[in-house]
Amino acid sequence: MAVIALESLTKQYPGVTALDGLTLELEPGIIGLVGSNGAGKSTLLKILLGLIAPTSGRATVFDLDVQTRGTDIRQFVGYLPEHDALPPDTSATDFVSHMAEMSGLPRAAARERTAEVLRHVGLYEERYRAMGGYSTGMKQRVKLAQAIVHDPRLLLLDEPTNGLDPAGRDEMLELVRRTGTEFRMTVVVASHLLGEIERVCTYLVAIEGGRLLRAASLGSFTERTGVLAVEVEDGADGLAAALDERGLKARVMGRTVLVALDDERPYDLVRDLVAELGLPLVRLEQRRHQLEDLFRDGPTPDGDPASSGAPPRGTVP
Amino acid sequence: MTAEGPGVDGAPRPGNIYDLGYHSYDGPRLGRPQAIRALFAHTLKTCFGIGRGGRAKIAPVVLGGLATIPAIVAVGAFALLRQAIGTSDEIQQASPVQHDTYYAIVTIPVVLFCAAQAPEVLGRDQRHNLLALYFSRALRRVDYALARFAGVAAAILVFVLLPQLILLLGFVLSAEDIGTELGRELEAVPAIVGQALIIAGLLGGISAAVSAFTPRRVYATTAIIVLLAVTPIVSTVLIELGTTTLATLLVLLSPTDILEATNAWLFDTRPDSGAVRQSDLPLAAFGIAAAIISAACVAILVRRYTTIAA
Repeated sequence: MAVIALESLTKQYPGVTALDGLTLELEPGIIGLVGSNGAGKSTLLKILLGLIAPTSGRATVFDLDVQTRGTDIRQFVGYLPEHDALPPDTSATDFVSHMAEMSGLPRAAARERTAEVLRHVGLYEERYRAMGGYSTGMKQRVKLAQAIVHDPRLLLLDEPTNGLDPAGRDEMLELVRRTGTEFRMTVVVASHLLGEIERVCTYLVAIEGGRLLRAASLGSFTERTGVLAVEVEDGADGLAAALDERGLKARVMGRTVLVALDDERPYDLVRDLVAELGLPLVRLEQRRHQLEDLFRDGPTPDGDPASSGAPPRGTVP
Repeated sequence: MTAEGPGVDGAPRPGNIYDLGYHSYDGPRLGRPQAIRALFAHTLKTCFGIGRGGRAKIAPVVLGGLATIPAIVAVGAFALLRQAIGTSDEIQQASPVQHDTYYAIVTIPVVLFCAAQAPEVLGRDQRHNLLALYFSRALRRVDYALARFAGVAAAILVFVLLPQLILLLGFVLSAEDIGTELGRELEAVPAIVGQALIIAGLLGGISAAVSAFTPRRVYATTAIIVLLAVTPIVSTVLIELGTTTLATLLVLLSPTDILEATNAWLFDTRPDSGAVRQSDLPLAAFGIAAAIISAACVAILVRRYTTIAA
């Protein structure tokens, strides 16, 4: 059963098309929704929640239309918004239990679940304090807690690691992974950070400019991600040109030449060429986390990667 | 969809083998009615600063005190005087604090209460981006608007009725003949409750509708005070100047004048306000004006929340 189904979903704002005929079916699992800022990730999540109405097309969650069955759907959906969304003068306990009641839980159950969920996200004594004094990490945990307090079947997380330091990011991602796998919730994690999303999800959806770039299981994405990075003191351009002559896709990024690794052939060839050209070799490594290249080249898998500019590391250009 | 379906695929979720303090929830899900109830109760509590820090309680406690103290003093003085002199009826009649005069006594506290607390409830949700969280839960935007309005109106109702209740109980318990006094007091109850409902609907509607348009508390509070306090001054000035037709229309838009007129209408007394008297309108017209303005405010509120971005 598809948890989420979209049929040529389109959302237009004056002057901007946020979603452009998106058609997609998503099965239960942990789904990464990747795209640059403004790609339409938040818009999609908000349409699924019924917060905004699509211009055309249809979206269903649990086979219910988001436009007409909003309240039925939302009883079983948790949402972590991208921006700060906590009243500073209220304690986490009061706030999360109020939100549980707002999802339809009886008062006693709401209080009980609040205690459990706040423990689950790692908030202890501080949960009785006003949230105005919380750190960003604690606030993010409360936002996750309010999203799962009513035990939803679908959890929509919009940039859950926003504003967190690296340790906080690791903890948040681990929480997301655990919540998704151990409690069998379908989780949609929207992020512009591929490296992060790759660590928690089993399925990836890439959107750009409101259009679907690719949707596939994580495995099929990473199969094609082999890239050999050759770092040289100088002469990177010469090496890239020589590789091109021999029919290999190569691209220069500063002092590094990136070579597509479709098979074993480039290893020997690079070794020979470096020796032949007498280049001062600094490093030779096989890189992972190159999903961004793939996304950009997604629609034209056989396109020449060298023709595009260097992508910023870790984000979709 | 059934309310109790536990898992994504309908199957019960497996027990959690790790003690993470998190378990799946298989209890009742009461949906939209529960969400509306919870939001109403939350609004009522927020209006009185319950469930929040000490600073949030200052305004409701001080204003509530100002509104209630006259009733307590009147009841106390009445009981003391009755013991000293004896004949209670004349003393009671002579007291300036009566059911029908109480609206005039609490006007300022109740206006300030609305101006302070409605922005507290409604502006807060916009200030802290809470609307996205509310609208993504088991209720509709219309439900949100109506539950918030009802909560604010209920808070005003409590605010206005509490001193009247003190007055009523005080008069009854300190009367020579409790039965007769109770009978007489109960006759006033429809007017007391009617006037309280009109106050709650009109002032609650205006202050909620104004507060819905800005996340900034200062702006909302100022706007509410201007609307409620400045309109009667304008209408009085216009009447002094002699432009009667305009003043007549304006007095029907002036909330505090309307409430004074409905008070006189319900308790069958003469209105104090010069503007109301000089307008020469039947007092029932003010009741109709109150109903129309309240309904218009609620409509504005609903419209605001069905179109606001979240």
